[in-house]
Amino acid sequence: MSDFGGALLALLALTLVKATPLIYAALGGVLSERSGVVNIGLEGILTAAAFFAVVASAATGSPIAGAAAGMVAGAAVAAILAFAATRLGVDQIVAGTGLNIMALGGAAYGLVLVFNQPGASREVPSLGKPGEVVLIALAFALAAALWFALFRTPWGLHVRACGENPRAAEVAGIDALQTRFWAVVIGGAIAALGGVYLSLAELDLYSDGMTAGRGYIALAAVIFGRWNPWGALGAALFFGFFAALQYSLQRAGIPSELMQALPYVAALVALAGFAGRVRAPAADGIPFER
Amino acid sequence: MGRTLRDALIALGIVFGVGSGAMLLAHVSPIDGFGALFDGALGNASELAETLLQTTALLFPALGIALAFRAGLFNIGAEGQIVLGGMTAGILGVALPLPGPLLIPVVLVAGACAGGLWGGLAGFLKARFGANEVISTLMLNTIAILLATYLIGGPFKQPGAGAAETPQLPPAAWLPVLVPNSRLSVSFLIALALAAALQYAFHRTVFGYELRAAGKAPEAARRAGIDLGRTAFSAMALSGAIAGLGGATIVMGVLHRFNTGLSPGYGFVAIAVALVGNLEPLFIIIAAFGFGILQSGAIAMQAEANVPRDIVTLIEGLVIVALAGRRFVAERRTS
Amino acid sequence: MAEAALRLRGISKRFGAILAVDGVDLDVAPGEIHALVGENGAGKSTLAAIAYGAVKPDAGTVETGGSVGLVHQHFLLIERLRVWENILLGREPRAGARIDRVRARAIVAELAARHGLAVDPDAFVETLPIGIKQRVELLRELAREPAVLLLDEPTAALAPSEIDTFFATVRALAQRGTAILIVTHKLAEVMGYSGRVTVMRSGKIVAAFRTAQTSADAIARAMVGGEIPALAARAATRPAARLAVRDICAGSGAGALAGATFGVAAGEIVGIAGIEGNGQTMLADAIAGIVPYTGEMALDGELLAPALSPAQRIARGIRVIPQDRRGEALILDWNIIDNVALGRQRDPPLRRGFVIDREVAGRFATDIIERFDVRPPNPKAFVGTLSGGNQQKIVVGRALAGAPKLVVAYQPTRGVDIGAAALVGSRLIEARNAGAAVLLISFELDEIFALADRIFVLFGGKFVGEFDRAELDRGRIGALMAGG
Repeated sequence: MSDFGGALLALLALTLVKATPLIYAALGGVLSERSGVVNIGLEGILTAAAFFAVVASAATGSPIAGAAAGMVAGAAVAAILAFAATRLGVDQIVAGTGLNIMALGGAAYGLVLVFNQPGASREVPSLGKPGEVVLIALAFALAAALWFALFRTPWGLHVRACGENPRAAEVAGIDALQTRFWAVVIGGAIAALGGVYLSLAELDLYSDGMTAGRGYIALAAVIFGRWNPWGALGAALFFGFFAALQYSLQRAGIPSELMQALPYVAALVALAGFAGRVRAPAADGIPFER
Repeated sequence: MGRTLRDALIALGIVFGVGSGAMLLAHVSPIDGFGALFDGALGNASELAETLLQTTALLFPALGIALAFRAGLFNIGAEGQIVLGGMTAGILGVALPLPGPLLIPVVLVAGACAGGLWGGLAGFLKARFGANEVISTLMLNTIAILLATYLIGGPFKQPGAGAAETPQLPPAAWLPVLVPNSRLSVSFLIALALAAALQYAFHRTVFGYELRAAGKAPEAARRAGIDLGRTAFSAMALSGAIAGLGGATIVMGVLHRFNTGLSPGYGFVAIAVALVGNLEPLFIIIAAFGFGILQSGAIAMQAEANVPRDIVTLIEGLVIVALAGRRFVAERRTS
Repeated sequence: MAEAALRLRGISKRFGAILAVDGVDLDVAPGEIHALVGENGAGKSTLAAIAYGAVKPDAGTVETGGSVGLVHQHFLLIERLRVWENILLGREPRAGARIDRVRARAIVAELAARHGLAVDPDAFVETLPIGIKQRVELLRELAREPAVLLLDEPTAALAPSEIDTFFATVRALAQRGTAILIVTHKLAEVMGYSGRVTVMRSGKIVAAFRTAQTSADAIARAMVGGEIPALAARAATRPAARLAVRDICAGSGAGALAGATFGVAAGEIVGIAGIEGNGQTMLADAIAGIVPYTGEMALDGELLAPALSPAQRIARGIRVIPQDRRGEALILDWNIIDNVALGRQRDPPLRRGFVIDREVAGRFATDIIERFDVRPPNPKAFVGTLSGGNQQKIVVGRALAGAPKLVVAYQPTRGVDIGAAALVGSRLIEARNAGAAVLLISFELDEIFALADRIFVLFGGKFVGEFDRAELDRGRIGALMAGG
């Protein structure tokens, strides 16, 4: 009996571990989309953050510096999308996809430049177990903070106005383009923490493709969570649970590939079940022109 | 035409500009770097054949992606569709007891159907549930690779198979070679023919007309009697089928077996190819050739000039961002 | 003479090839109610947007004695936010880092009481009926205490009783010194409520009157600049039953159709009168087959099942002229030839096997261009470059081609200049003369009176009155439109 209880606790703990990067990415996605910009580039943000966090940690010996660098890198990638979406009015989905590919290639390229070896970096000073715990707790705290910011503060109201009807926001004196820009960038910094978690907390190195589509699962979490920080958190936990489940079920003799597919299938099913019934912010994905 | 030219120039600018910058970061002179790239891609006949091979591998998914784009849909799942098409070819090519002239078309069609099924699944989810096809095709990519790995190692494991790959195809299932002593097969011609057919289909047929209308103005299309759900489904299925066909040709024409690594990201680079070609099949051929040069030259560039080949991926991503354009303005719409 | 609260001098604005405003001077004094009238496309809305500051003029100056408010014709509200959030957006009361929601609600309640415009501060805007939404829009502008208030077609969506309340509010504002400029084409309201009238035509000011010293006729003549083109003659027809509709229900909530029963005969125009938002869109969409509905619908005795697709209805001879040509009828990036094929791409002769016959399509296009006087008469012109009137001509021409059995014309002359409107009306009459059944849905009573053989009034999703052309009673119809 206690063996079962122990296994359950382990599963829950692993759920938290697996969900945390998803939570950060999803929160970043929520903020971005609430302002009206679809951020498909979450995967690229995670990649850039994970990579630069490792590079900075290796260079300075300080994982904290690594975390900070990761956030800056994530925000920078987000800024490219933010600029392209607001000033250039490009198709946000196509641009986001391009960013993901850029980040993947850039990180692989950077691996060789910085560490002189392809595929993976060497091990670097990491945030360790205490760092993991802090980041997990911070994810929940950020969800609460984002909810408060979006639904209780003037800035949050302005962001939501830009996501619903940017022209009406402009008439009220809000700079819709600038509001969107910063929402995307801040969202990128938040999402970046997910990448930092992957490379400096859960592990202590960067390897090609380590983000493994988490940025896309996070997008499904945004939709599943109805563009609400708490909803996104819940959805991320849900998908994280399936990722954690794969380890428990592997011992039950189910082929590992099918288990690995669980979170992706879960995301797909959630999308199919929910997508038609929820409404994105009205101006989500639609460029605003003055 | 003017727009295509401008986009092509932007792409070229990025390739040479950013490429040079990144090369300098690696302490390599751009002249050496690009020299190695072009020499490696076009230096002699066999290298040219290899470049055309890469061109073909890109052309198939790019045509499929362009078709989906025209219908207002974004197929990022070409990678998974290529894998499943290739897997089907790898399994059936060995398992079907048919003579050569029959075996090849049957297996090619089967590969296309596998890709079409996968793309159609995303199309169905979009048409029926309004599920965003970007996220669903991305999920399906990963699921496809895992599924293929499982199938060829488990239920469809064949005698003589290695780890994570199928046994070698019998010669009856090999595509005829176009240039002797190279890996370039008739798949190149198939791709060209397909491009021509799509060009015609887009601009002359009722199907192409309805597809483009649905992509441009869904509300007006709906009132004109166009079934948006069916269009979304057929566009995604056809898009997947074309990519799947590409995967099958890689297996039957190049590798002569299937392994899950048969596509080093063709499905993603093809997005850039489709955009640079302005979604016009004939221009896409040219764009595919340009990117084919990058792909095949990159290996030589790494070997001879010490420039990591991932720089090409970086450049390709940047091209996509630069050409994201105002054209598509994706709407969240249900059928 | 009071100093003008709003002074426009030499305003000009060009959009592409179209000169929307051409050298306009205009003054509005504090406390005055000034009407700016003109036909659709005369430039009134553009001028208002320039006065508001939303659009920059190419030439000229705008001087104001304070801030300017604008109540938009189609509202600029954020549907998914609450009333108080819309009204106080950008000026939210704060309590530290938070919005002070209690104070916000109180401010809105006080504002509403002060102007006699009751609203629920907490309600979500998307749940409100149109009349209340307009109150929110108005309160949003009034919250800024503007010196000048611009009202763009403010009564388009209001019932007659609501119009009275609305103008009472406007009068009260004027009495408090606000300068009011009403952009409208409703001359009855101009005569009833304004002090001065300025008439625009083709971007220029062509007349200015003191309301007390003029008449609706004089204003109308100035608006049109001559004789209003006559409509085609109505031929005698022998109406035979064509469209039979029984108990059709579609949609839910505001704007739903709640049981419509009527018929349209071949060789007649049936007009559906009503205020926007009473089920017209659901009616048009149900007949077009793009929304699900319950009830019976039959064309020439043959049942039209609710599941019958738009394509099948088109094949049976039903043509719809949608309300929104840019969003629902045309593909602006394509040329005229490609647009003309839309809706008929599956039928021979346009379709030849798998292919679209370009020659036939070209002929269709030139045909419509000639019959409808589309300018410029270039079949390869991109539809997005044409004026609203010419775009609408293409939509109507396409719908009337090929002798359709039933034509549903939903706001067929919306936003179209007087010449094009007369042409469209004439073509509808000619289609009727030739035996088509025409269902005309319009928010403009004048248009319905000019074209319809029979008129039904739609209110709250139900038909509440039927009138024959010979016995038109404007007062009664107006009352029924408002639910009286």
